[in-house]
Amino acid sequence: MDPSSGIQEPFDLIRLSLSERVFVKLRGDREITGILHAYDGHMNLILSDVEETIMLVDVVDGVAEGEVKVAKRKMEMLFVRGDGVILVSPPSRT
Amino acid sequence: MADSTPPPPADDQSPPPPPPQSHTGSPTDFLKGVVGKRVIVRLTSGVDYRGTTSLLSCLDGYMNIALEQTEEHVNGVVTNRYGDAFIRGNNVLYISAAEAL
Repeated sequence: MDPSSGIQEPFDLIRLSLSERVFVKLRGDREITGILHAYDGHMNLILSDVEETIMLVDVVDGVAEGEVKVAKRKMEMLFVRGDGVILVSPPSRT
Repeated sequence: MADSTPPPPADDQSPPPPPPQSHTGSPTDFLKGVVGKRVIVRLTSGVDYRGTTSLLSCLDGYMNIALEQTEEHVNGVVTNRYGDAFIRGNNVLYISAAEAL
């Protein structure tokens, strides 16, 4: 039990974030922020007003260089397949 | 088929001793005990979620985890902080208790 918030299971954290801007960390060094419209038990997500940030690590002779390039793009509406999701963080409710 | 079973052991003495009763428990007992405690969660990618106040709020049967006030560490460097974080269970390598249960 968590006295500070009404969370009994991890999905409650997602349910409380509906219609809010969330941060999502994805496989393949990708991060997105967007407004969460829907989700399901697989963590498939529907997001709108999305900005995707892709970290491009320079690899020279199989060794990752220190410099990391970042590519960004925006999408109006996005379906994210759940198996690519690593972490979802709602806006802080403190 | 019927006579393929191995012969009973010649030793008919006491059964093997029960496991020590001190701090043992099933993995489920551990997971129940760790809720509300400080934890370190490591993902298969090597990323750690930890922090002096990183609390495990709850978890479910898929090992999906809700963390509070956690720091993301990559190669020992803090790369992010989250007031709340949902971690999809398939990415979890281990959950380590960071305080006494």
